[in-house]
Amino acid sequence: MEIIKRRKRLDAHPYIPELKELYLDNRVTRREFLRMATLLGMSITSAGAFLAACAPAVPETAEPSAVPTLKPSEAPTVKPTGPRRGGTLTIASRIQRVDHPARITWMAGANQFRQVCEFLSFTDFDNITHPWLLERWEVNEDVDEWTLYVRKGVKFNDGQELTADDVVFNFQQWLDPEIGSSMLGLMNYLSPEGVERLDAYTVKLHLSTPQIGVPEHLFNFPAMIVPKTFEGDIARQPIGTGPFLLEDYVETERASFVRREDYWQNGADGKPLPYLERLVYLDLGEEAAPQIAALQSGQVDNITMPSAETWQATKDLPGIAVQTASTGETFVLRMRADVEPWSDNRLRQALKKCMDRQKILDLSYFGQGILAHDAHIAPIHPEYCEKSIPAYDPEGAKALLAEAGYADGLTVELTAPEAMAGPAMAQSLKESAAAGGINIEIKSVPASLYWDVWTEVPLGITHWTHLALGTMALDLAYVADQEGAPAAWNETHWVDEEFSDLLQQADRTLDVEARRQIMCQLEDIQMSRGSVGIPFWANLWYICRETFKNVKAHPSSYDVLNEVWFEPEAA
Amino acid sequence: MSRYIIRRMGFMLLTMFMVSVAVFVISEVAPGDVARHILGQFATPEQVELLRRQMGLEEPLYVRYVDWLVGNDWRLSRLVGKPLRQAEVGGRGEKAWWAVMPDGTLAQWRMKEGELIESWVAPDGTKGEEPFDGWVVDEHGEETFWGVDAANHVVLWKRGTSGAQIGPASAGRAMSESSGSEYFPIRRGLLRGDPGISSRTNRPVGPTLIRRLRNSFILAGIAFTLMMPLALFLGILAGLQEGRLLDRAISLLSLITTSIPTFASGVCLILLFAFWLKVLPGAAVFTGDMAPFQDTKLLILPVLTLSLVEVGYVVRMTRASMVEVMNASYIRTAFLKGLPYGRIVINHALRNAMMAPITVIMLHVNWLVGGIVVVESVFGFPGLGLYMLDSALFKDVNAVEAGALVMVALAVGTQLIADIVYTFLNPRIRYGE
Repeated sequence: MEIIKRRKRLDAHPYIPELKELYLDNRVTRREFLRMATLLGMSITSAGAFLAACAPAVPETAEPSAVPTLKPSEAPTVKPTGPRRGGTLTIASRIQRVDHPARITWMAGANQFRQVCEFLSFTDFDNITHPWLLERWEVNEDVDEWTLYVRKGVKFNDGQELTADDVVFNFQQWLDPEIGSSMLGLMNYLSPEGVERLDAYTVKLHLSTPQIGVPEHLFNFPAMIVPKTFEGDIARQPIGTGPFLLEDYVETERASFVRREDYWQNGADGKPLPYLERLVYLDLGEEAAPQIAALQSGQVDNITMPSAETWQATKDLPGIAVQTASTGETFVLRMRADVEPWSDNRLRQALKKCMDRQKILDLSYFGQGILAHDAHIAPIHPEYCEKSIPAYDPEGAKALLAEAGYADGLTVELTAPEAMAGPAMAQSLKESAAAGGINIEIKSVPASLYWDVWTEVPLGITHWTHLALGTMALDLAYVADQEGAPAAWNETHWVDEEFSDLLQQADRTLDVEARRQIMCQLEDIQMSRGSVGIPFWANLWYICRETFKNVKAHPSSYDVLNEVWFEPEAA
Repeated sequence: MSRYIIRRMGFMLLTMFMVSVAVFVISEVAPGDVARHILGQFATPEQVELLRRQMGLEEPLYVRYVDWLVGNDWRLSRLVGKPLRQAEVGGRGEKAWWAVMPDGTLAQWRMKEGELIESWVAPDGTKGEEPFDGWVVDEHGEETFWGVDAANHVVLWKRGTSGAQIGPASAGRAMSESSGSEYFPIRRGLLRGDPGISSRTNRPVGPTLIRRLRNSFILAGIAFTLMMPLALFLGILAGLQEGRLLDRAISLLSLITTSIPTFASGVCLILLFAFWLKVLPGAAVFTGDMAPFQDTKLLILPVLTLSLVEVGYVVRMTRASMVEVMNASYIRTAFLKGLPYGRIVINHALRNAMMAPITVIMLHVNWLVGGIVVVESVFGFPGLGLYMLDSALFKDVNAVEAGALVMVALAVGTQLIADIVYTFLNPRIRYGE
């Protein structure tokens, strides 16, 4: 199989020997070693080979417990008989308006066109990023020049071969303000002139500021690779390198995909992937009830992006397997740091003290998550620095209120989207904050309307999805742009000079240990004067019929179906 | 009679007009911005503003209303200086707007690397693309050109400035859309048979609406034809047996079914038939346009849910009406005259007793088609109600307008039918002068 080129590139980057030392000294975990090594261009096979070689020295159980992670649930105990071919996977999902993939804003559309178009990199189920449409990448010591080597022999489904020209074209599309891609905000370290085509299969990126997250960014959902002949509407021109071909796309109703015969990856049987013959996405509306009923009665096999309620309703259904993943997805209690009353840090701290984290987690997510401590970096991230979880402290909140001149209490309005954890979290917060002297008036808005005001309201609950690297959310939401104004995604308008400087330092620090030290400081700043309260990191689930094998929950809710196969129950 | 019908039709048009104005105004003042919704949470204000201009949302409300109602191609063709025509090119089943050249050739333009490219289709079907050189120098000395782009806008392109905005990437529909200085979306207008493009799906409203309406008609039609005879029969039976055991039983049952809201009864039925007995699918999953005909099992639970609540209502209405008539003095007279029971009921009582139920039934036709949004969301049934709900949440004005007008036409139309049926039931009723 040709998935991973078996080249001996053990020392692709000068930092790799040091990384190996760190691993041998037990200072980075196996997961971190893999993540860092592949990030630096070491192929996953070489990294795996290295790990296997020193396996006796470092038993896997010896992972430091600093990183509390959830074990993914066990795969069905039926012994797999090897992949089979054929079968149709039917998925309940919204079918949304989609035109330019770089402009995709909603996850459902991204998950459907992910079957047609692929990415340069791939962040796998363990949150480790490795090359995909790239063969490998190299980065210089200053982490501001990335060389991307495009995989040779990959063909788009219209017969063109993928070359550096296509890659450059895609970068230009992402970086063009007129396209309106959210990649532009993510890649604020890159300008169109910084994308250089070296030869037919090599592209070099010249970054204006060092950034270690480039491979992760290349797997951000709008970063789908389209051919250079792309005209702007993927539903009408569904050309990509992916394993499925678009058959039918009817917005708000259904989307169907059929297997492509000449996909570039081979399966275990030596023939091209994918194993499945067809994929059908059906739009059953926004309500969970019909989706659960359809899953139960066999009309669909999978519910995409299930809510905690859907998980609760389906986890015990016979014939349904639930895979769990721990993520960096969360619900952020965000306070506009530039408007009254939240411009006063004492009041921000008071509200954070009013969060009864365990209660919020239990009420809004059935306890399915890990408690968090108000810094936007999760235990699943390699550079996470462990801190103690602040206790629920209404008396402390009262004292802070009094100090800020609100001894008689403070009345605030909380805008909560009517989706996922929003309502329950708002209600729970209202109750626990009353004891601390903060009277919360909940203003519920439909989730779709919340996004109209998400950067506007003084106090709100914003749903953040999982981002692969610990610095990514910080780079997006807690910094200023080049002119010094809060960046486009900085919903709280909170800009802190010390924080920004440290973050820039973290963005160019390859050493996980060193980066963790910076992270500890960044987390302290966010905890002591930051603009968000983060009660917990949510779990997510992949709920699928047991007859589909090799399915896994991706921490970003991505549908990765290349190697899923169908095994009828009779067999 | 015919004058009466004509007058009612006139009222219907007036109602539709008022409703369409109201929907426009309401969606204007309702919170939320459709452009922001399309672009998602991470769009910058400039992108939102550009899309608003491309969608024509920056125009005054009355201009948008008139454009929506009667179209604006006749107005915009003056800007372009050529007639505009809708034509289907490329076989995708969707018509696009083109400018018509004097020789009948259709033309569209787009910006590529700072220059305009003209794509044309000759009357004999041949197609081509070539650089365009028809710039017009305006009073400010700028080279400008009014043309039609590939996304149904009339666009003002300026040479140089448009090119400068383009940047390094040159392809992409968004590019060709956004490289102009002014945009007017071309509309054919509702009165000329085009309800417009849905901003939620970016596809024409018409075909989707027709499909959704058909689905709702199937659901409502089956529910209606099953339920009405049954409900009327039970109601009459109960009314005739007033106070007896049968009446009590029917009344109690109908009270129970009407008082359980559809979202509760729907979920109960799903639990019973789909989860425990496993005999029926629990959701109306449409795998294709023809699904309701291929797999009628899909329809059983939604129809049952819908019928339960309706049956109870009509039964109670019919019973009350029947009881009242049976206690009327002319019925007593009939009994005293010695007429047979059957003749009294059928010839004398029924016709009068039917007046109230007919009104209710006709009111419910409208409710059945558009108002069954609860049942549709419980079962995920792709009907008109769900379509309207989703569109309203998205502020998809064109879709909401079209749906609302269909519902008004249905409401007024069914009332008209009810009025005509009255005259047959009760000859004393006369309409008109």
